[in-house]
Amino acid sequence: MVQLEDVTCRFGDVVAVKDASLWVGAGTMLGLIGPSGSGKTTMVRMLTGTLRPTSGTIHVLGEQPVRFRRETRERIGYMPQQFHLYPHLTASENVAFCASLFGLFWWRRHTRVKQVLELVQLTEARNRLAKDLSGGQQRRLSLACALVHEPDVIFVDEPTAGLDPILRQTVWDEFRRLREAGKTLFVTTQTVSDAQFCDGVAMLVHGSLVAVGAPDALKREAFGGELIEVRVEGSAQKSVVDRIEGVRSVQQPAKDRLLIVTDDAGVVAPRVTDALNTSGARVLTTDKHEPSFDEVFIELVERSGMGEREEVAS
Amino acid sequence: MTGIAKSLTRMFGLISKELRDLLRRPGAIISLILGPLAIMAIFGIGYDGERRPFDTVVVLPANSTLPHDAKTYNDLRAPGLNVIDVTEDRQSAEDKLGRGQARFIVIVPGDVEDKFRAGQQATVTTEFNEVDPIEDNVARVSTQMLLEELNRRVIEGAASEGMRVANVAQPIPANVIAQPLKYDIKNRAPIEPSMVAFFAPAVFALVLQHLGITLTALSLVRDKLSGVMDLFRVSPVRSWEMLLAKYVAYGALSIAVAFAVAFLMTNVLHVPLLGSPERLATAVGLLTFASLGFGLLISIVADSERQAVQLAMLVLLFSMFFSGFVLPIAEFRPIVQPLSFILPVTYGINLFQDIMLRGTRGDPSMLLGLAALGVVLYLIDAIGLRGIMRRAR
Repeated sequence: MVQLEDVTCRFGDVVAVKDASLWVGAGTMLGLIGPSGSGKTTMVRMLTGTLRPTSGTIHVLGEQPVRFRRETRERIGYMPQQFHLYPHLTASENVAFCASLFGLFWWRRHTRVKQVLELVQLTEARNRLAKDLSGGQQRRLSLACALVHEPDVIFVDEPTAGLDPILRQTVWDEFRRLREAGKTLFVTTQTVSDAQFCDGVAMLVHGSLVAVGAPDALKREAFGGELIEVRVEGSAQKSVVDRIEGVRSVQQPAKDRLLIVTDDAGVVAPRVTDALNTSGARVLTTDKHEPSFDEVFIELVERSGMGEREEVAS
Repeated sequence: MTGIAKSLTRMFGLISKELRDLLRRPGAIISLILGPLAIMAIFGIGYDGERRPFDTVVVLPANSTLPHDAKTYNDLRAPGLNVIDVTEDRQSAEDKLGRGQARFIVIVPGDVEDKFRAGQQATVTTEFNEVDPIEDNVARVSTQMLLEELNRRVIEGAASEGMRVANVAQPIPANVIAQPLKYDIKNRAPIEPSMVAFFAPAVFALVLQHLGITLTALSLVRDKLSGVMDLFRVSPVRSWEMLLAKYVAYGALSIAVAFAVAFLMTNVLHVPLLGSPERLATAVGLLTFASLGFGLLISIVADSERQAVQLAMLVLLFSMFFSGFVLPIAEFRPIVQPLSFILPVTYGINLFQDIMLRGTRGDPSMLLGLAALGVVLYLIDAIGLRGIMRRAR
């Protein structure tokens, strides 16, 4: 559905995206995660055909974006980062305008405008001018505009920026519903924890993709396996755990705490508990540790060696 | 068939958006509709076409046999002068000129008749203080006409004295000797010339051009600056659909305003419309078409709203000087004259004056020229907008 191969985009001497390769299957939701200026918007612009890559190939819906046919464009939804709809049109007029841009006939338009406004909870605000809507409402209006023509592939640039947690959850719920309806979503975000909502995650740092995969796979990739966190009474002996079969590495962030990277946490955890108890330490808890995506992101960035480079343009 | 229907759907959406966006801004509506009417009304009320005469002081020596009362001079056929005082004191007259209490002084020597009898010319001096070249010309013409009148008086007096001495059987009237020829002026124009009638079509054309240019000059700039152009680039909309939609939306609005202004102009200001209304409507349509094209060209070139407004004002200024609005195009050097014809208003003024004031169908070359200008501007705009839409691809 969406495919990039060795894509690079330069603005003069600045490399905005470097050698990016990515594949997004139909009916899946990929989250492109990266800090501000990492090249996310550049990537979206290349995928929507508004920016030509310097090198590499891109295919969306089987076509190169810069050569999209009209029929193909009608299958694409785009929600830009900034709200730039018409402030002097009402919410429903803005959505109807976007619907007409994508060739939706008036009899269908009327129904769809009503549906998408309901979907983004703007039915009551449908007759208010866009300029009079709150920031969150404007984001939802932009989303309604991107969805009104029922596209197959939806590119959404920073949809949750500036939204409160409840609204953020609503937006992601809507994305999940769309994915379940068979739509393909390409969502960029700065919020690393948003990765948990996606089927696939691509981490973009300084224009380079440092990791691509399913959220759980990335967690494993970041730390080299599954994590077990052990708390003991008194002091734990790291050397006791190091020798256990299935243990890859051990970190001791505190005197009474061990963080153990294993091949399989379910198999190794009982061995660790036994070994520590045998050594005289009293084990208080042994839990499988679920690292946050912030931890995963930091780990992956540090491992990629991208942490200290100059910021690139987006 | 579906493709055409979708294309029409897209264009209808764009037209409807443009109109709604515009009509939701009351300030824009006021300036669009009431603005031109206010200009026409102020022009009609404030300008009566009558030139204010120069307040004049006549300096005359006490021993002069010429009249010493202001009324006599005002009764002379010397238009443009309003004699407010006749004095012997030249210095006080010059002081009045310096203070702006008088704009014109006439200094008549005391020995006019003596010199005439002696076969010599006396010199009458006029002084004024005008920096405006038109006023300077008027003052010079007024001087000549006053002098003619004074000459006539002097000759008439001398001739009447001569007739009495000659005692001829059938004496020739002195005024015939003084002025053997008289003039009779005929103006074959179909209307009584008036400043309002003459300038109203030109103002109408200028207002229409300015309206069309300012409407479109900002529309595309707003789209470019707001980033909505990215949405257009992603969507299936084509540049020609966008362009056509802007022409239709703003064209409809401009023509509606034009008809309202034309109605008030002919019914309230009583500006004559001697030609056919259909012909006027054709000229209005072509002028609007070309003006919208000019505005869109500005919109394509401009990088900001401020720059678009500046360029629109420059076109207005250029139009004031070079369209024939104030100064006839024929008075410019031939090398500069073609510049006038890149302005839609040049054709508009010519056509409107011909159709409204002379009752003709309008010069066909002007109609064709205006249509050609509109088409050329449309093509340039189409290429420019296509470039903007594709620039990033």
